[in-house]
Amino acid sequence: MTVIQHPIVFHLLGIPVRDTVVFTWITIGIIVLAVLLLKLMKPNLLEMILEMLIGVVDDAMDVDDLHPYIPLLGSLLVFVLVSNIISVVPILKSPTADINTTIALALIVVLSVHVFGIRKKGLWGYLKEFASPIVLFPIELIGQLSRTLSLSMRLFGNILSGDIIVAIVFSIIPSFLPITMIALSMVSGLLQAYVITTLAALFISSAVEINVEDLRIKAEKAASKKLKKMRKELANG
Amino acid sequence: MDNLSQEAVVVVVTTIVAAFAIVIGTMIPTWVEGVAAQKAIEGMARQPEAAPQLRTAMIIALALLETASIYVLLIVLVLLFANPLLPLLGG
Repeated sequence: MTVIQHPIVFHLLGIPVRDTVVFTWITIGIIVLAVLLLKLMKPNLLEMILEMLIGVVDDAMDVDDLHPYIPLLGSLLVFVLVSNIISVVPILKSPTADINTTIALALIVVLSVHVFGIRKKGLWGYLKEFASPIVLFPIELIGQLSRTLSLSMRLFGNILSGDIIVAIVFSIIPSFLPITMIALSMVSGLLQAYVITTLAALFISSAVEINVEDLRIKAEKAASKKLKKMRKELANG
Repeated sequence: MDNLSQEAVVVVVTTIVAAFAIVIGTMIPTWVEGVAAQKAIEGMARQPEAAPQLRTAMIIALALLETASIYVLLIVLVLLFANPLLPLLGG
């Protein structure tokens, strides 16, 4: 089946380039062109799309300041969305129907979770919260791995299964019926883009959230210590 | 079965197992997803003001449940198109 295979298209400086890479370049080109055109013709529409992106991210995260996270999550949403529905065009294939693309995206998400966490709490603070209690540290590590795996496999499996179903239906009944399947796979591509962005936002917000209860306990301890000190000073005169 | 080669037996058994796997592996997650969506929609009907949060939570839960059937699909695809058992016969 041609849906599953990814042939080498050409060699660039001795490095074999598969068709997924070419389709990724086409996707990036489409996004850049669309944004430039919208900026020139209809800036209002572009602003509306940006508001929508911020809304999607804002629904999933409960942090005070969204600004550091919008560039990553917004571009993730736009890229996954466009590359999911690019396979509607007959010659093109979705870049996300290749496991390499989705694993790259999942690795970016999982590593950036730690980067945001460390940036917010500092290295030591983040590690301390990551491994508390210390018994759960290995399970946390396994959790990071399975998070990467499930993020990438979910996107890959959904998009690939949509493409395969379209190909099978097309080989049985080549007229009209594939349109419904293409529409279905477009809807599922839309949903998957939303889901991967929401999950990434959830992971990041769980890494950067500061435990309010811990802060309260710490403040109470400090206050009681201060009170004791003052009492001692008073007793000493 | 005597006139079948070893490869043919492996291919036939793998195909039958793959068919069973995809049937069971899509049936059960779909059923569970139906239960999850039913509960979420009941909650939305009872408290319409909490509908947006419920919808987001429902979509995330459905995506997570969907992962199970996606894993089954990937295993079935590996069994059908890149069977790991066939090279073992050659050695």
